[in-house]
Amino acid sequence: MSKRVPINRLSKFFGDKDFNLELEMGQEWLYGDMNFTLVLYQVDQSKTKKSNVYGEVEEDGIVYKTPVEFKGFVKVLEPQNENLGNTKLRNLEPGNIQISVYISELEELGVDIKYGDYIGYYETESRVRYYTVVNDGKVTSDNKHTYGGVYPFYRTVIASPVKDNEFRGN
Amino acid sequence: MGFPKKIKKDIKLTQDKILYERREELVDFIKEDGTYLPKSILHEDLDLGMLEFVKNELGTVVSGKKIPTVDLIITTQNWAQFAETWNFTDLDENINPPFVATVRNPDVKFGTNPALRYNIPNKKMFYYAKVPTWDGNRKGMDIYKIPQPVPVDITFNVKIFCNRMTELNAFNKTVISKFASRQAYTFIKGHYIPIILENISDESVLDLEKRKYYVQDYTLTMLGFLIDEKEFEVYPAISRILQVVEVVPPKRKRQKFVVPDLRDTDFSFSFLNGLTSLSQKFDFNSDITFNDLINVESYYVYINNEYFAENPPIVFVNNGDVMTVDIRKVNDGEDSQILVTSKLI
Repeated sequence: MSKRVPINRLSKFFGDKDFNLELEMGQEWLYGDMNFTLVLYQVDQSKTKKSNVYGEVEEDGIVYKTPVEFKGFVKVLEPQNENLGNTKLRNLEPGNIQISVYISELEELGVDIKYGDYIGYYETESRVRYYTVVNDGKVTSDNKHTYGGVYPFYRTVIASPVKDNEFRGN
Repeated sequence: MGFPKKIKKDIKLTQDKILYERREELVDFIKEDGTYLPKSILHEDLDLGMLEFVKNELGTVVSGKKIPTVDLIITTQNWAQFAETWNFTDLDENINPPFVATVRNPDVKFGTNPALRYNIPNKKMFYYAKVPTWDGNRKGMDIYKIPQPVPVDITFNVKIFCNRMTELNAFNKTVISKFASRQAYTFIKGHYIPIILENISDESVLDLEKRKYYVQDYTLTMLGFLIDEKEFEVYPAISRILQVVEVVPPKRKRQKFVVPDLRDTDFSFSFLNGLTSLSQKFDFNSDITFNDLINVESYYVYINNEYFAENPPIVFVNNGDVMTVDIRKVNDGEDSQILVTSKLI
Protein backbone atom coordinates (compact mmCIF):
# COMPACT_ATOMS: atom_id res chain seq x y z
CA MET A 1 0.00 0.00 0.00
CA SER A 2 1.35 3.33 -0.97
CA LYS A 3 2.23 5.90 1.61
CA ARG A 4 -0.59 8.36 2.33
CA VAL A 5 -0.07 11.80 3.76
CA PRO A 6 -2.96 13.77 5.28
CA ILE A 7 -3.78 17.03 3.55
CA ASN A 8 -4.49 19.78 5.99
CA ARG A 9 -4.30 22.75 3.69
CA LEU A 10 -6.84 25.44 4.56
CA SER A 11 -8.38 23.02 7.05
CA LYS A 12 -9.08 25.80 9.46
CA PHE A 13 -11.49 27.43 7.02
CA PHE A 14 -12.23 24.78 4.39
CA GLY A 15 -12.24 21.20 5.58
CA ASP A 16 -13.21 17.92 3.91
CA LYS A 17 -16.88 18.43 4.64
CA ASP A 18 -16.87 21.82 2.96
CA PHE A 19 -14.95 20.45 0.04
CA ASN A 20 -17.33 17.54 -0.42
CA LEU A 21 -20.34 19.83 -0.07
CA GLU A 22 -19.05 22.11 -2.76
CA LEU A 23 -18.32 19.11 -4.93
CA GLU A 24 -21.82 17.72 -4.50
CA MET A 25 -23.36 21.09 -5.25
CA GLY A 26 -21.27 21.36 -8.37
CA GLN A 27 -22.19 17.87 -9.50
CA GLU A 28 -25.84 18.58 -8.85
CA TRP A 29 -25.56 21.65 -11.07
CA LEU A 30 -23.61 19.83 -13.75
CA TYR A 31 -25.62 16.61 -13.87
CA GLY A 32 -29.00 18.06 -12.97
CA ASP A 33 -29.06 21.48 -14.56
CA MET A 34 -26.45 21.40 -17.32
CA ASN A 35 -26.63 17.72 -18.24
CA PHE A 36 -24.06 17.78 -21.05
CA THR A 37 -23.55 14.21 -22.18
CA LEU A 38 -20.55 13.04 -24.13
CA VAL A 39 -19.34 9.68 -25.34
CA LEU A 40 -15.77 8.60 -24.76
CA TYR A 41 -14.15 6.25 -27.26
CA GLN A 42 -10.97 4.88 -25.68
CA VAL A 43 -8.61 3.64 -28.33
CA ASP A 44 -7.66 0.03 -27.80
CA GLN A 45 -3.97 0.24 -28.55
CA SER A 46 -3.47 -3.51 -28.47
CA LYS A 47 -6.17 -4.27 -31.06
CA THR A 48 -5.75 -1.33 -33.38
CA LYS A 49 -3.69 -2.25 -36.40
CA LYS A 50 -1.10 0.41 -36.95
CA SER A 51 1.63 1.08 -39.43
CA ASN A 52 4.94 -0.13 -38.04
CA VAL A 53 6.77 2.93 -39.30
CA TYR A 54 4.39 5.82 -38.85
CA GLY A 55 1.94 4.38 -36.33
CA GLU A 56 -0.87 5.44 -38.65
CA VAL A 57 -4.18 3.69 -38.90
CA GLU A 58 -6.15 3.17 -42.09
CA GLU A 59 -9.62 4.55 -42.53
CA ASP A 60 -12.08 2.94 -40.10
CA GLY A 61 -9.17 0.99 -38.68
CA ILE A 62 -9.31 2.34 -35.12
CA VAL A 63 -10.50 -0.23 -32.62
CA TYR A 64 -11.92 1.23 -29.44
CA LYS A 65 -13.14 -0.13 -26.17
CA THR A 66 -16.81 -0.03 -25.29
CA PRO A 67 -17.93 3.59 -25.58
CA VAL A 68 -18.73 5.22 -22.25
CA GLU A 69 -21.12 8.09 -21.65
CA PHE A 70 -19.95 10.72 -19.26
CA LYS A 71 -21.00 14.15 -18.13
CA GLY A 72 -18.94 17.25 -18.32
CA PHE A 73 -19.18 20.97 -18.77
CA VAL A 74 -18.80 21.65 -22.44
CA LYS A 75 -17.55 24.75 -24.11
CA VAL A 76 -17.28 24.61 -27.89
CA LEU A 77 -15.06 27.28 -29.33
CA GLU A 78 -16.05 29.34 -32.35
CA PRO A 79 -15.38 27.94 -35.81
CA GLN A 80 -12.62 29.60 -37.75
CA ASN A 81 -13.16 30.63 -41.35
CA GLU A 82 -9.72 30.13 -42.80
CA ASN A 83 -7.77 28.92 -45.75
CA LEU A 84 -6.50 25.40 -45.84
CA GLY A 85 -2.81 25.77 -45.17
CA ASN A 86 -1.30 28.39 -47.43
CA THR A 87 -3.94 28.11 -50.13
CA LYS A 88 -7.08 29.77 -51.34
CA LEU A 89 -9.17 26.77 -50.36
CA ARG A 90 -11.64 28.08 -47.87
CA ASN A 91 -12.39 25.88 -44.92
CA LEU A 92 -14.73 26.56 -42.03
CA GLU A 93 -12.83 24.76 -39.33
CA PRO A 94 -14.98 23.78 -36.33
CA GLY A 95 -13.65 25.02 -33.03
CA ASN A 96 -12.12 22.85 -30.36
CA ILE A 97 -14.20 21.47 -27.55
CA GLN A 98 -13.21 22.15 -23.98
CA ILE A 99 -14.62 19.69 -21.47
CA SER A 100 -14.45 20.10 -17.74
CA VAL A 101 -15.04 16.75 -16.10
CA TYR A 102 -15.04 15.71 -12.49
CA ILE A 103 -12.25 13.34 -11.63
CA SER A 104 -14.65 11.45 -9.40
CA GLU A 105 -16.95 10.90 -12.40
CA LEU A 106 -14.16 9.24 -14.34
CA GLU A 107 -13.18 7.16 -11.34
CA GLU A 108 -16.74 5.99 -10.85
CA LEU A 109 -17.01 5.00 -14.51
CA GLY A 110 -13.60 3.32 -14.38
CA VAL A 111 -12.29 5.16 -17.43
CA ASP A 112 -9.51 7.55 -18.18
CA ILE A 113 -9.38 10.16 -20.93
CA LYS A 114 -6.04 9.88 -22.68
CA TYR A 115 -4.29 11.84 -25.35
CA GLY A 116 -5.49 10.49 -28.71
CA ASP A 117 -8.81 9.12 -27.47
CA TYR A 118 -11.95 10.22 -29.26
CA ILE A 119 -14.98 11.97 -27.86
CA GLY A 120 -18.36 12.15 -29.54
CA TYR A 121 -20.61 15.09 -28.84
CA TYR A 122 -24.16 15.12 -30.15
CA GLU A 123 -24.89 18.57 -31.47
CA THR A 124 -28.42 17.53 -32.47
CA GLU A 125 -30.33 14.28 -32.16
CA SER A 126 -28.89 13.02 -35.42
CA ARG A 127 -25.65 14.89 -35.79
CA VAL A 128 -22.61 13.92 -33.84
CA ARG A 129 -19.21 15.51 -34.08
CA TYR A 130 -16.13 13.63 -33.12
CA TYR A 131 -13.10 15.11 -31.49
CA THR A 132 -9.70 13.78 -30.67
CA VAL A 133 -8.14 14.60 -27.34
CA VAL A 134 -5.21 16.95 -27.82
CA ASN A 135 -4.86 17.89 -24.16
CA ASP A 136 -6.02 15.32 -21.63
CA GLY A 137 -5.67 17.74 -18.73
CA LYS A 138 -3.98 15.22 -16.50
CA VAL A 139 -1.89 17.87 -14.81
CA THR A 140 -4.27 19.31 -12.25
CA SER A 141 -1.81 20.96 -9.87
CA ASP A 142 -2.91 24.52 -10.48
CA ASN A 143 -5.17 26.43 -8.14
CA LYS A 144 -8.07 26.41 -10.55
CA HIS A 145 -8.25 22.64 -10.61
CA THR A 146 -7.61 22.16 -6.91
CA TYR A 147 -10.23 24.43 -5.44
CA GLY A 148 -7.83 26.95 -4.01
CA GLY A 149 -5.09 24.40 -3.60
CA VAL A 150 -6.93 21.79 -1.50
CA TYR A 151 -7.58 18.77 -3.75
CA PRO A 152 -7.60 18.37 -7.52
CA PHE A 153 -11.20 17.66 -8.37
CA TYR A 154 -11.71 18.17 -12.09
CA ARG A 155 -9.83 18.02 -15.35
CA THR A 156 -10.03 20.26 -18.36
CA VAL A 157 -9.82 18.26 -21.53
CA ILE A 158 -9.32 19.92 -24.89
CA ALA A 159 -10.16 18.05 -28.06
CA SER A 160 -9.90 19.01 -31.71
CA PRO A 161 -12.43 18.00 -34.36
CA VAL A 162 -11.51 15.14 -36.66
CA LYS A 163 -12.49 14.34 -40.21
CA ASP A 164 -14.55 11.33 -41.17
CA ASN A 165 -11.63 9.52 -42.69
CA GLU A 166 -9.85 9.51 -39.34
CA PHE A 167 -12.69 8.56 -37.02
CA ARG A 168 -16.45 8.37 -37.36
CA GLY A 169 -17.52 6.10 -34.50
CA ASN A 170 -17.89 3.02 -36.70
CA MET B 1 2.99 -10.25 -56.79
CA GLY B 2 3.92 -8.87 -60.15
CA PHE B 3 3.85 -10.83 -63.37
CA PRO B 4 7.12 -12.06 -64.83
CA LYS B 5 8.34 -9.64 -67.45
CA LYS B 6 7.80 -12.04 -70.34
CA ILE B 7 4.07 -12.27 -69.75
CA LYS B 8 2.25 -9.57 -71.67
CA LYS B 9 -0.97 -8.47 -70.07
CA ASP B 10 -2.23 -6.81 -73.22
CA ILE B 11 -1.20 -6.87 -76.83
CA LYS B 12 -1.46 -3.86 -79.08
CA LEU B 13 -3.32 -4.73 -82.23
CA THR B 14 -2.04 -1.66 -84.04
CA GLN B 15 1.47 -0.35 -83.87
CA ASP B 16 2.12 3.20 -82.79
CA LYS B 17 3.09 5.45 -85.64
CA ILE B 18 6.62 6.75 -85.77
CA LEU B 19 8.69 9.34 -87.66
CA TYR B 20 6.94 11.02 -90.59
CA GLU B 21 3.64 9.20 -90.02
CA ARG B 22 3.66 10.29 -86.40
CA ARG B 23 4.20 13.89 -87.44
CA GLU B 24 1.29 13.62 -89.83
CA GLU B 25 -0.78 12.20 -87.04
CA LEU B 26 0.07 15.16 -84.84
CA VAL B 27 -0.95 17.58 -87.58
CA ASP B 28 -4.25 15.71 -87.80
CA PHE B 29 -4.70 16.22 -84.07
CA ILE B 30 -4.06 19.92 -84.47
CA LYS B 31 -6.57 20.23 -87.28
CA GLU B 32 -9.11 17.83 -85.81
CA ASP B 33 -12.73 19.01 -85.89
CA GLY B 34 -11.76 22.32 -87.29
CA THR B 35 -10.44 24.23 -90.18
CA TYR B 36 -7.10 23.82 -91.82
CA LEU B 37 -5.71 26.16 -89.21
CA PRO B 38 -4.52 25.15 -85.77
CA LYS B 39 -6.95 25.89 -83.00
CA SER B 40 -6.40 28.61 -80.45
CA ILE B 41 -4.43 27.78 -77.36
CA LEU B 42 -5.15 30.34 -74.71
CA HIS B 43 -4.77 30.47 -70.96
CA GLU B 44 -7.91 28.48 -70.37
CA ASP B 45 -6.73 25.66 -72.61
CA LEU B 46 -3.38 25.54 -70.85
CA ASP B 47 -5.11 25.45 -67.47
CA LEU B 48 -7.34 22.64 -68.65
CA GLY B 49 -4.28 20.80 -69.92
CA MET B 50 -2.71 21.05 -66.49
CA LEU B 51 -5.87 19.77 -64.82
CA GLU B 52 -5.94 16.81 -67.18
CA PHE B 53 -2.28 16.18 -66.45
CA VAL B 54 -2.82 16.22 -62.69
CA LYS B 55 -5.87 14.02 -62.96
CA ASN B 56 -4.50 11.44 -65.38
CA GLU B 57 -0.77 11.44 -64.82
CA LEU B 58 -0.54 12.15 -61.11
CA GLY B 59 -3.43 9.94 -60.05
CA THR B 60 -2.50 8.03 -56.92
CA VAL B 61 -4.15 5.07 -55.27
CA VAL B 62 -3.74 4.42 -51.56
CA SER B 63 -5.26 1.40 -49.83
CA GLY B 64 -7.36 0.67 -52.92
CA LYS B 65 -8.84 4.16 -53.10
CA LYS B 66 -7.88 6.80 -55.58
CA ILE B 67 -7.02 10.14 -54.07
CA PRO B 68 -9.66 12.45 -55.58
CA THR B 69 -8.54 15.40 -57.62
CA VAL B 70 -10.32 18.72 -57.62
CA ASP B 71 -10.95 19.06 -61.35
CA LEU B 72 -11.10 22.82 -61.25
CA ILE B 73 -8.48 25.50 -61.05
CA ILE B 74 -8.96 27.10 -57.69
CA THR B 75 -9.72 30.78 -58.04
CA THR B 76 -10.98 33.35 -55.60
CA GLN B 77 -14.60 32.99 -56.58
CA ASN B 78 -15.48 29.45 -57.39
CA TRP B 79 -14.56 27.55 -54.26
CA ALA B 80 -17.87 28.03 -52.45
CA GLN B 81 -19.92 26.83 -55.41
CA PHE B 82 -17.56 23.97 -56.09
CA ALA B 83 -17.46 22.77 -52.51
CA GLU B 84 -21.24 22.35 -52.58
CA THR B 85 -21.07 19.97 -55.49
CA TRP B 86 -18.03 18.05 -54.37
CA ASN B 87 -18.74 14.48 -53.41
CA PHE B 88 -16.22 14.23 -50.64
CA THR B 89 -17.41 16.69 -48.03
CA ASP B 90 -18.01 16.30 -44.34
CA LEU B 91 -20.99 17.36 -42.30
CA ASP B 92 -19.78 20.96 -42.39
CA GLU B 93 -19.49 20.80 -46.18
CA ASN B 94 -15.79 21.16 -45.81
CA ILE B 95 -13.83 19.13 -48.28
CA ASN B 96 -12.60 15.85 -46.85
CA PRO B 97 -8.96 14.84 -47.10
CA PRO B 98 -7.18 13.29 -48.83
CA PHE B 99 -7.49 15.26 -52.04
CA VAL B 100 -5.33 16.99 -54.59
CA ALA B 101 -5.99 20.54 -55.71
CA THR B 102 -4.43 22.68 -58.39
CA VAL B 103 -3.89 26.36 -57.83
CA ARG B 104 -2.73 28.63 -60.63
CA ASN B 105 -0.67 31.67 -59.90
CA PRO B 106 -2.51 34.60 -61.43
CA ASP B 107 0.63 36.10 -62.95
CA VAL B 108 1.52 34.60 -66.28
CA LYS B 109 5.03 35.54 -67.32
CA PHE B 110 6.72 35.73 -70.67
CA GLY B 111 7.95 32.28 -71.49
CA THR B 112 11.41 30.87 -71.06
CA ASN B 113 10.97 28.09 -73.60
CA PRO B 114 14.13 28.50 -75.67
CA ALA B 115 12.37 27.28 -78.80
CA LEU B 116 10.15 30.35 -78.77
CA ARG B 117 12.03 32.93 -76.77
CA TYR B 118 13.99 34.49 -79.62
CA ASN B 119 11.88 35.51 -82.56
CA ILE B 120 11.38 38.07 -85.26
CA PRO B 121 9.93 41.28 -83.82
CA ASN B 122 6.54 42.83 -84.62
CA LYS B 123 4.74 39.49 -84.73
CA LYS B 124 5.59 38.70 -88.30
CA MET B 125 3.08 36.43 -89.98
CA PHE B 126 4.35 33.14 -91.28
CA TYR B 127 3.04 30.96 -94.06
CA TYR B 128 1.17 28.01 -92.63
CA ALA B 129 -0.81 26.36 -95.41
CA LYS B 130 -2.16 26.69 -98.90
CA VAL B 131 -5.77 25.58 -99.08
CA PRO B 132 -7.60 24.89 -102.34
CA THR B 133 -10.86 26.76 -102.95
CA TRP B 134 -13.65 26.48 -105.47
CA ASP B 135 -16.10 29.32 -106.00
CA GLY B 136 -18.32 27.44 -108.43
CA ASN B 137 -16.51 28.65 -111.50
CA ARG B 138 -12.85 28.43 -110.97
CA LYS B 139 -10.33 26.82 -108.69
CA GLY B 140 -8.14 28.92 -106.49
CA MET B 141 -6.02 28.86 -103.38
CA ASP B 142 -6.20 30.54 -100.02
CA ILE B 143 -3.01 31.35 -98.19
CA TYR B 144 -3.18 30.80 -94.43
CA LYS B 145 -0.71 32.74 -92.31
CA ILE B 146 -0.24 32.64 -88.57
CA PRO B 147 2.00 34.59 -86.21
CA GLN B 148 4.67 32.90 -84.18
CA PRO B 149 3.16 31.60 -80.93
CA VAL B 150 3.89 33.67 -77.84
CA PRO B 151 5.69 31.75 -75.11
CA VAL B 152 4.27 31.90 -71.59
CA ASP B 153 5.33 30.42 -68.29
CA ILE B 154 2.46 29.52 -66.02
CA THR B 155 3.18 28.45 -62.47
CA PHE B 156 0.86 25.96 -60.85
CA ASN B 157 0.84 24.73 -57.30
CA VAL B 158 -0.39 21.19 -57.06
CA LYS B 159 -1.20 20.54 -53.44
CA ILE B 160 -2.07 17.37 -51.66
CA PHE B 161 -4.10 17.60 -48.48
CA CYS B 162 -4.11 14.52 -46.34
CA ASN B 163 -3.72 13.37 -42.80
CA ARG B 164 -1.57 10.30 -43.28
CA MET B 165 2.08 10.05 -44.16
CA THR B 166 1.39 7.02 -46.36
CA GLU B 167 -0.80 9.13 -48.64
CA LEU B 168 1.89 11.79 -48.76
CA ASN B 169 4.50 9.19 -49.65
CA ALA B 170 2.39 7.63 -52.39
CA PHE B 171 1.68 10.96 -54.07
CA ASN B 172 5.29 12.05 -53.73
CA LYS B 173 6.42 8.83 -55.40
CA THR B 174 4.02 9.40 -58.29
CA VAL B 175 5.20 12.97 -58.85
CA ILE B 176 8.88 12.25 -58.47
CA SER B 177 8.65 9.30 -60.84
CA LYS B 178 6.76 11.34 -63.40
CA PHE B 179 9.37 14.09 -63.27
CA ALA B 180 12.37 11.79 -63.07
CA SER B 181 13.56 13.31 -66.34
CA ARG B 182 12.97 16.84 -65.00
CA GLN B 183 10.02 17.46 -67.25
CA ALA B 184 6.79 15.82 -68.26
CA TYR B 185 4.36 16.66 -71.02
CA THR B 186 0.69 17.35 -71.30
CA PHE B 187 -1.15 17.08 -74.58
CA ILE B 188 -3.18 20.13 -75.53
CA LYS B 189 -4.97 20.24 -78.88
CA GLY B 190 -2.29 18.23 -80.59
CA HIS B 191 0.66 20.01 -79.00
CA TYR B 192 2.96 18.55 -76.41
CA ILE B 193 3.47 21.19 -73.72
CA PRO B 194 6.37 20.65 -71.32
CA ILE B 195 5.92 20.93 -67.58
CA ILE B 196 8.85 21.30 -65.20
CA LEU B 197 8.88 20.43 -61.53
CA GLU B 198 10.38 23.48 -59.85
CA ASN B 199 10.04 22.89 -56.15
CA ILE B 200 8.48 20.82 -53.42
CA SER B 201 7.59 22.45 -50.15
CA ASP B 202 5.66 21.59 -47.05
CA GLU B 203 2.82 23.64 -45.60
CA SER B 204 1.50 21.13 -43.14
CA VAL B 205 -0.59 22.33 -40.25
CA LEU B 206 0.79 20.60 -37.21
CA ASP B 207 -0.31 22.87 -34.38
CA LEU B 208 -0.71 20.99 -31.14
CA GLU B 209 -4.24 22.06 -30.37
CA LYS B 210 -5.66 22.07 -33.88
CA ARG B 211 -6.68 19.49 -36.39
CA LYS B 212 -3.44 18.26 -37.91
CA TYR B 213 -3.10 17.65 -41.60
CA TYR B 214 -0.38 17.53 -44.17
CA VAL B 215 -0.21 19.93 -47.07
CA GLN B 216 2.54 19.40 -49.56
CA ASP B 217 3.02 21.82 -52.39
CA TYR B 218 4.49 20.86 -55.76
CA THR B 219 5.38 23.90 -57.82
CA LEU B 220 5.09 23.11 -61.51
CA THR B 221 5.90 25.46 -64.34
CA MET B 222 4.21 24.95 -67.66
CA LEU B 223 6.26 26.16 -70.60
CA GLY B 224 3.29 26.91 -72.78
CA PHE B 225 2.54 29.19 -75.66
CA LEU B 226 -0.40 31.19 -76.82
CA ILE B 227 -1.97 30.91 -80.26
CA ASP B 228 -4.94 33.12 -80.95
CA GLU B 229 -6.92 32.23 -84.03
CA LYS B 230 -8.21 35.79 -84.24
CA GLU B 231 -4.73 36.78 -85.32
CA PHE B 232 -4.66 34.35 -88.21
CA GLU B 233 -4.76 35.72 -91.73
CA VAL B 234 -6.48 34.09 -94.67
CA TYR B 235 -6.29 35.75 -98.03
CA PRO B 236 -6.79 34.51 -101.55
CA ALA B 237 -3.77 33.56 -103.52
CA ILE B 238 -3.35 34.43 -107.20
CA SER B 239 -5.89 32.33 -109.07
CA ARG B 240 -5.62 33.79 -112.59
CA ILE B 241 -3.36 36.38 -114.20
CA LEU B 242 -4.87 38.64 -116.83
CA GLN B 243 -2.15 40.43 -118.76
CA VAL B 244 -3.27 43.38 -120.84
CA VAL B 245 -0.77 44.65 -123.35
CA GLU B 246 -1.47 47.79 -125.34
CA VAL B 247 0.17 47.74 -128.71
CA VAL B 248 0.62 50.81 -130.89
CA PRO B 249 1.27 49.70 -134.47
CA PRO B 250 4.41 51.44 -135.69
CA LYS B 251 4.27 53.43 -138.83
CA ARG B 252 7.47 52.16 -140.40
CA LYS B 253 8.75 52.73 -143.81
CA ARG B 254 9.45 49.70 -145.85
CA GLN B 255 13.05 48.71 -145.43
CA LYS B 256 15.30 48.83 -148.38
CA PHE B 257 16.60 45.52 -149.61
CA VAL B 258 20.20 45.31 -148.67
CA VAL B 259 22.44 43.37 -150.95
CA PRO B 260 24.73 41.25 -148.75
CA ASP B 261 28.37 41.89 -148.92
CA LEU B 262 29.82 38.85 -150.54
CA ARG B 263 33.37 39.80 -149.85
CA ASP B 264 35.61 37.49 -147.94
CA THR B 265 35.88 38.16 -144.23
CA ASP B 266 38.90 37.27 -142.16
CA PHE B 267 38.62 36.42 -138.52
CA SER B 268 40.40 34.19 -136.04
CA PHE B 269 39.81 31.64 -133.30
CA SER B 270 41.95 32.84 -130.39
CA PHE B 271 42.71 30.18 -127.80
CA LEU B 272 44.04 31.87 -124.68
CA ASN B 273 46.29 30.06 -122.28
CA GLY B 274 44.40 27.03 -120.91
CA LEU B 275 41.64 27.20 -123.58
CA THR B 276 41.49 24.37 -126.17
CA SER B 277 37.94 24.62 -127.53
CA LEU B 278 35.87 27.41 -129.10
CA SER B 279 32.45 27.51 -130.75
CA GLN B 280 30.98 29.91 -133.24
CA LYS B 281 27.45 30.11 -134.54
CA PHE B 282 26.97 31.15 -138.16
CA ASP B 283 23.88 33.01 -139.29
CA PHE B 284 24.62 32.56 -142.97
CA ASN B 285 25.84 29.97 -145.45
CA SER B 286 29.53 30.18 -146.07
CA ASP B 287 32.77 28.41 -146.76
CA ILE B 288 35.24 28.60 -143.90
CA THR B 289 38.86 28.30 -144.97
CA PHE B 290 41.52 27.57 -142.35
CA ASN B 291 44.58 29.62 -143.26
CA ASP B 292 47.29 29.90 -140.65
CA LEU B 293 47.90 27.99 -137.44
CA ILE B 294 49.82 29.64 -134.61
CA ASN B 295 51.00 27.32 -131.82
CA VAL B 296 48.50 24.69 -133.04
CA GLU B 297 49.65 21.17 -133.72
CA SER B 298 46.29 19.91 -134.98
CA TYR B 299 42.62 20.90 -134.87
CA TYR B 300 39.32 19.01 -134.93
CA VAL B 301 36.10 20.43 -136.29
CA TYR B 302 32.57 19.60 -135.00
CA ILE B 303 29.40 20.85 -136.68
CA ASN B 304 26.42 21.01 -134.35
CA ASN B 305 28.36 18.84 -131.88
CA GLU B 306 28.95 16.15 -134.44
CA TYR B 307 32.47 15.29 -135.42
CA PHE B 308 33.32 16.56 -138.90
CA ALA B 309 37.06 16.11 -139.62
CA GLU B 310 40.62 16.53 -138.39
CA ASN B 311 42.59 19.42 -139.88
CA PRO B 312 40.13 20.08 -142.74
CA PRO B 313 41.36 22.89 -144.99
CA ILE B 314 37.85 24.12 -145.73
CA VAL B 315 34.42 23.60 -144.09
CA PHE B 316 31.00 24.50 -145.43
CA VAL B 317 28.50 25.76 -142.83
CA ASN B 318 24.77 26.41 -143.18
CA ASN B 319 22.73 29.17 -141.64
CA GLY B 320 22.28 28.36 -137.90
CA ASP B 321 25.11 25.85 -137.67
CA VAL B 322 27.41 25.91 -134.65
CA MET B 323 30.99 25.08 -135.46
CA THR B 324 33.24 23.89 -132.64
CA VAL B 325 37.02 23.81 -133.02
CA ASP B 326 39.10 21.75 -130.59
CA ILE B 327 42.87 22.11 -130.81
CA ARG B 328 45.99 20.40 -129.58
CA LYS B 329 48.61 23.00 -128.74
CA VAL B 330 52.28 22.76 -129.57
CA ASN B 331 53.19 24.59 -126.40
CA ASP B 332 50.54 24.23 -123.72
CA GLY B 333 51.75 27.24 -121.77
CA GLU B 334 51.11 29.77 -124.54
CA ASP B 335 48.14 31.25 -126.42
CA SER B 336 47.12 29.77 -129.80
CA GLN B 337 45.33 31.20 -132.80
CA ILE B 338 43.76 29.95 -136.02
CA LEU B 339 43.23 32.48 -138.78
CA VAL B 340 40.26 31.71 -141.01
CA THR B 341 38.49 33.28 -143.96
CA SER B 342 34.70 33.22 -144.32
CA LYS B 343 33.23 33.45 -147.78
CA LEU B 344 29.48 34.01 -148.05
CA ILE B 345 27.70 31.83 -150.54
